[in-house]
Amino acid sequence: MLYAKSGNALRLTSGDAQAVRAGLCAGMSLADARARFPHLIAVEQDSAADSGWLARLGQDCLGYTPQVTLLPPDAIGMDITGSAHLFGGELAMVDMVLDRFNDMGMTTRAACGITPEAAAALARYADWPMGDEAAAIRGLPLDALGLDDAARRGLQRAGLTSVGAVASRPMAAIAARFGMAAVDAIERLTGLERAPMTAIKPPAPLHFTRRFAEPVTHQSAIARSLLALLQDAACVLEKRGQGGRRFRLTLLRSDGARHRLDIATSAPTRDPALVLRLFDERIATLADPLDPGFGYDQMQLAIGAVEGLVSVQATFVGEEGAQDGGEQAIAELIDRLSTRLGPDCIQRLAPQDSHIPEQAQLALPASTNPAPLRWPAPPIGEPPLRPLFLFDPPQRIEVIAEVPDGPPHRFRWRRGLHEVRLYEGPERIAGEWWRRRGGEQAAKAGLTRDYYRIEDMRGRRFWLFRHGLYAEKPDPRWYLHGLFA
Amino acid sequence: MTMPFSELVSASNYSFLRGASHPAEMVTCAHALGMAGIGIADRNTVAGVVRAHMAWKELGGKELGGAQGSFRLIVGARLVFAPPETGTATPDIIAYPATRHGWGRLTRLLSLGNRRATKGDCILHLDDLLAHAEDLLLIVMGGDAMGGDAAVLERLVHARPGAVWLAASMPRGGADARRLAQLQALSQASGVALLATNDALYAAPDVRPLHDIITCIREGVTIHAAGKRLLANAERHLKPPTEMARLFRSCPQAIDATGDFLSRISFTLDDLRYEYPHEPVPDGWDAQGWLEHMVMAEAHRRHGATLPAALSTVIAEEFRLIRLKNYACYFLTVHDIVRFARQADPPILCQGRGSAANSVVCYLLGITSVDPVAHKLLFSRFLSEARNEPPDIDVDFEHERREEVMQYIYRRYGRERAGIAATVIHYRPRSTLREVGKVLGLSEDVTSRLAGTIWGNWGNDVPETRMKEAGFDPANPAIARLKYLTDQLLSFPRHLSQHVGGFVLTEGRLDELVPIHNAAMADRTFIEWDKDDIDALGLMKVDVLALGMLTAIRKSFNLLRAQGLGDYTLQNVPLEDAATYAMLQKGDSIGTFQVESRAQINMLPRMKPACLYDLVIQVAIVRPGPIQGGMVHPYLRRRNGEEVVEYPSPAPPHDPDELREVLEKTLGVPLFQEQAMKLAIVAAAFTPAEADGLRRAMATFRNMGTIHRYQTQMIEGMVVRGYKRDFAERCFEQIKGFGEYGFPESHAQAFGWLAYVSSWLKCHHPAIFTCALLNAQPMGFYAPAQLVRDAQEHGVELRAIDVGASDWDNGIEPAGSTLALRLGLRQIDGFRESWAKTIMAARASGPFATIEELARRAAIPPAALRKLGDADGFGGLAHSRRDALWEVQRTPPDQLPLFAFAKAAELGRETDAQLPAMPLAEEVTADYQTTRLSLKAHPMQFLRAALAGEGIISCAEANMAPDGRKIRTAGIVLIRQRPGKGNAVFITIEDESGVVNALLWARDMEHQRAAVMGARLMLIEGEIQRSKEGVVHLMAKRITDRSAMLGRLSGYDTMKTPLTRGDEVHHPHSHSQPARHHGHPRNLRILPPSRDFH
Repeated sequence: MLYAKSGNALRLTSGDAQAVRAGLCAGMSLADARARFPHLIAVEQDSAADSGWLARLGQDCLGYTPQVTLLPPDAIGMDITGSAHLFGGELAMVDMVLDRFNDMGMTTRAACGITPEAAAALARYADWPMGDEAAAIRGLPLDALGLDDAARRGLQRAGLTSVGAVASRPMAAIAARFGMAAVDAIERLTGLERAPMTAIKPPAPLHFTRRFAEPVTHQSAIARSLLALLQDAACVLEKRGQGGRRFRLTLLRSDGARHRLDIATSAPTRDPALVLRLFDERIATLADPLDPGFGYDQMQLAIGAVEGLVSVQATFVGEEGAQDGGEQAIAELIDRLSTRLGPDCIQRLAPQDSHIPEQAQLALPASTNPAPLRWPAPPIGEPPLRPLFLFDPPQRIEVIAEVPDGPPHRFRWRRGLHEVRLYEGPERIAGEWWRRRGGEQAAKAGLTRDYYRIEDMRGRRFWLFRHGLYAEKPDPRWYLHGLFA
Repeated sequence: MTMPFSELVSASNYSFLRGASHPAEMVTCAHALGMAGIGIADRNTVAGVVRAHMAWKELGGKELGGAQGSFRLIVGARLVFAPPETGTATPDIIAYPATRHGWGRLTRLLSLGNRRATKGDCILHLDDLLAHAEDLLLIVMGGDAMGGDAAVLERLVHARPGAVWLAASMPRGGADARRLAQLQALSQASGVALLATNDALYAAPDVRPLHDIITCIREGVTIHAAGKRLLANAERHLKPPTEMARLFRSCPQAIDATGDFLSRISFTLDDLRYEYPHEPVPDGWDAQGWLEHMVMAEAHRRHGATLPAALSTVIAEEFRLIRLKNYACYFLTVHDIVRFARQADPPILCQGRGSAANSVVCYLLGITSVDPVAHKLLFSRFLSEARNEPPDIDVDFEHERREEVMQYIYRRYGRERAGIAATVIHYRPRSTLREVGKVLGLSEDVTSRLAGTIWGNWGNDVPETRMKEAGFDPANPAIARLKYLTDQLLSFPRHLSQHVGGFVLTEGRLDELVPIHNAAMADRTFIEWDKDDIDALGLMKVDVLALGMLTAIRKSFNLLRAQGLGDYTLQNVPLEDAATYAMLQKGDSIGTFQVESRAQINMLPRMKPACLYDLVIQVAIVRPGPIQGGMVHPYLRRRNGEEVVEYPSPAPPHDPDELREVLEKTLGVPLFQEQAMKLAIVAAAFTPAEADGLRRAMATFRNMGTIHRYQTQMIEGMVVRGYKRDFAERCFEQIKGFGEYGFPESHAQAFGWLAYVSSWLKCHHPAIFTCALLNAQPMGFYAPAQLVRDAQEHGVELRAIDVGASDWDNGIEPAGSTLALRLGLRQIDGFRESWAKTIMAARASGPFATIEELARRAAIPPAALRKLGDADGFGGLAHSRRDALWEVQRTPPDQLPLFAFAKAAELGRETDAQLPAMPLAEEVTADYQTTRLSLKAHPMQFLRAALAGEGIISCAEANMAPDGRKIRTAGIVLIRQRPGKGNAVFITIEDESGVVNALLWARDMEHQRAAVMGARLMLIEGEIQRSKEGVVHLMAKRITDRSAMLGRLSGYDTMKTPLTRGDEVHHPHSHSQPARHHGHPRNLRILPPSRDFH
């Protein structure tokens, strides 16, 4: 079963055939269902994924007709007027669609109707194929009208339990009681009225093409044309309030050969100069430089992965004086380096929420968006608690120190002996018991580290720790974990 | 020589979701570590200090209290201030009262913060503290922003020179030494002494995982995502003085400061001298004298000039104890509350319950209605010389009018002097499993599956078998972790809530005794301490409880008076009425008080109660205590003469008949708490105080520690006096079985009387009694449908809801020589009393001719008209339900009523819509959907032909079947219960002919669990078991869910019902399948839900 939170209770929203046979139904609370079937497998409903899936299926249906409507949460409408004959008529077409979706592992119901509402209602409440469509519509239950609860109940109580029974009463009487909405619903079902359909649109691809009467061969001409393409794209993107993250340039040579160039940016952009520079970088790193041969007769620019990008008002003083010019410049640098060296070669550290020093940051490809977490601001006037450089793994050292938790007096690291002149600590960091089997019990919680910041006689600063308290381990080892600048 | 050190900044788990050890653990741990003392200060509360105080006393603190070098406990609060709108935040300040006066300032300060906030919060500002700082010693917790602290310190020192300390701790944060140096500098600059502390959050370092868990619960994150919201290490525990001295070796004066601090405090909770509210007494009388005067006057009024000797002795003894303990004011207070209720207009019925009924003073003051002298009740159960705590007087009031009594108490004593006791809400297994599971990252599904395995909601442990039942391996590390942590958290307090009705009243200001909170309910305030704390400190509590049956009885009396059938009160109902007992002996007790449950109905034909005392026993015997103690069957056998009544005797020097005295009333079987106490006194030579200790050990059986002490004492005591050891052991086992579910006899007496009064009403005035019960809903064990049906079976004529005759309440109408019960508009789900009142007012000027006229004259909204139509309430206006509803629906719902009616008149006549006639089955279904009952028919009636075709017999036939017959019967499920140890499931089903009680052994349940738990209409196959008293049970073997048949009734879903979404059978034909599009659950429901146990 699937369940979702409704109010304070977890309620079932839908189930498979087995669950339904067992008597479970939507609306029942999960606790009730569990009381009957302790071993029930229940998964939380993911409405976003459902609607995403429906949207994808809708796109898929564009192959049958250009007029496709999504009817969330679980239906798709198609206007097949004029396209049914392409698929062998309505009957054959419905079978074809059903086969297709059933082959995808789904259970699908479908029907054709005189109006979208009729089709939807027939698909839900009647068996396909129905002989007489008008009779089938008259036989539909009240639910097919899609009325609000009060109206549906009112009609039920009046003994009007089918669409036909309602439709045969004077519409004035229905309107007086249940409002024009009810009358409209009936008329739409019976085909007396049509409501407009809002068809989904295939996403307009961001494609920009430039054809040349004469094939171009000059690098400068290519660059000029590319810039023009990028400017076109920038206009469109600006109107949409978007920027691109991935750009593909396709160069079509007059002899039919194609060259493809891809670039990606770390932040959405529509700045033609920036993108052009990245393409230049890309071209410069190609193993076999572009060979225009007899020249290119067509250039195509496609933009993928668009994201929202707010327009920034240009400043009077120009880019140098801009407030976040620094950020911008770094982003551009990262893009250039990533394009040149490959995205995985440029990394940035992202802060992580953990007490364990080596887990407090994570190296990510620099072109990914930085994590929402911010680095903790160092307290003003305080020396840094963490070193600039961390050894991975920490390096084993020999230490002479005070027992139980006094500072080291001297230590040996890489055969060098260091006399401790100044120290601060310990900073005690306990292990993450929840990552250890049985860690909730004191004996298995893992070792605690005592960190010391150390300055030796020569003024060099180290970050050492003793792995384990004496209470936890008789002879704890010492490690050098990092170096301060 | 270790330096004396005391941890003065320690939180207990009453710092909710912050502290991770019980107050008692903190105190005993500090003592064990060799500290000189401990200070408990929870976050803006003193809710946990009484428990700490009790633990300290257990350590012998009382004796050690004054001596040099002894272990001390000081109590205070950690004041956490609301973030200021501007400027730096105020650091936490720990406040300890040095004197009783200081305590009063602290509690008033906390009350101020509490009353400012909505429930559960406390909003304090530094200025509040400065205004309440007299006699408080303050410890400022050093924050990071030193500049801000300096300013705070300056203000505090100015306000309380010499009474401010600056806390320094060594949290192992990496810069401890530097921080300490900064604090030292601040200390010198401000002249405030440093005080060493570890700011403890728990007793021992191994509590860290639990502390991490509660931190995650507080922050609403999983442990994996909690990161730095958790503490980095396990250092915030109580550390031994040597360790603290080592940590503070650079600043030993901070360690010494803890000793100075401690020596400045003289206050302990024992200083809270409690004073009962002084009741006004006439000039020339003191409280005791006035009490005695009133009691004696009443005694003489009842018994004439010379009192019976037994009565005089008891009265004199009670007077002596009351004077000795100075409780006169308490009795006068309760008397005053009861008098208010009796003198209210109209009077509010009330009756004392519980141990107060042991007191003849309470009886003569009219607080209780049972004569303890006549029933030889044990006064020491109520009050004893040895017990240094006030007696417990609980009074039941009509449930609908208890609020009046409560508001009277607030009015009379003021909110400064009256408050409701708190109830400490503890972590419960289900919610704890959920919360801990969520923190550990288990899915909600897994945790709710685990939580779902706990039937009921009690107990302190999650048994492993339950885990296995749900298909979890207790050895699995994740499950083991969950269980380990859940077990620890289970006993924790979770939050404070208000007690159901326990009032604490004081002579002085209550808020100088204990902080006061706003309750969730408007006009209620409650104090921070719960019942146990109040007991421990000897505060007075009056329980003002609500009892639905008192409301029903009062309504019955009113109806009797209105019908000219007599003027009754609780005191003058005819005694020992034979017809009433005859009715009860048949097990005919639906609707009565206490003896109406299924178990009681089964017991009635066996017990055959023939006098009031039998009813008292009946009330007391069908309880988990006596049932688990194995007392029921011996008693029944003896009562029916199948077993000789014998009283074991002690060895010769003692009176051989001594136990006869104690146990004669109950045929040698101890059934009441008093008997257990008397048994211990008489047979094992306990003192009354020891016997009371035994009772307390029984009452709180979770404190298993103490009961064993009494076990040896009692068994050996009895053996020494010549009883057989096995008898002594059996006696003790029985007493232990009482647990907390045994009744004191006095309580059973009080309830037995109400059971009698309600049975008498049912027997002689069934229409009036049913009417009163319906008007007092919700209450009792049965739903209106069953009550109405029972009335019909007793020959009461029931009349349907009719807008031309029904009032809001159900009413009584003459019907020839008898009375008929007219259902009231209140039976319609969702109908409002105000609508009913306007209809009644409009009707007073003449009957309605049409619905339109009703709508115009009564001016009720369309929604009300629709509900009336839905409930078939226009019957008198000559409409069928369907036509009426069609008519009232004509006013569109989205118009203002005024315009709607203005227009309605102009709507004119419509052509007949020619609606199909409503079949009876649908009428019944609609009745159930709108009023939860139907007078027209029983739903099962329409299925009878189909069922009979399958060879399924009716409930009545099942009940007539001979013993051992294998039968199949079906009915609507009324009740599913799985009582006690859970090895059997009781199911009650009903059809148009009657009810059948079935019993299913738990071992037969699992494989048909879905049917057992899910069926609304249940088919049961099994064997009839008939006891010789004629009690019939169906021993169920196979259960089938036939709920689908109910779908045929409404007639709506004969159409194909769609199944909603996802992988579904291709062409669903499941008729009763409610689908998502069905909307409001009421539309799905044909019958009101059964009462289930899960």
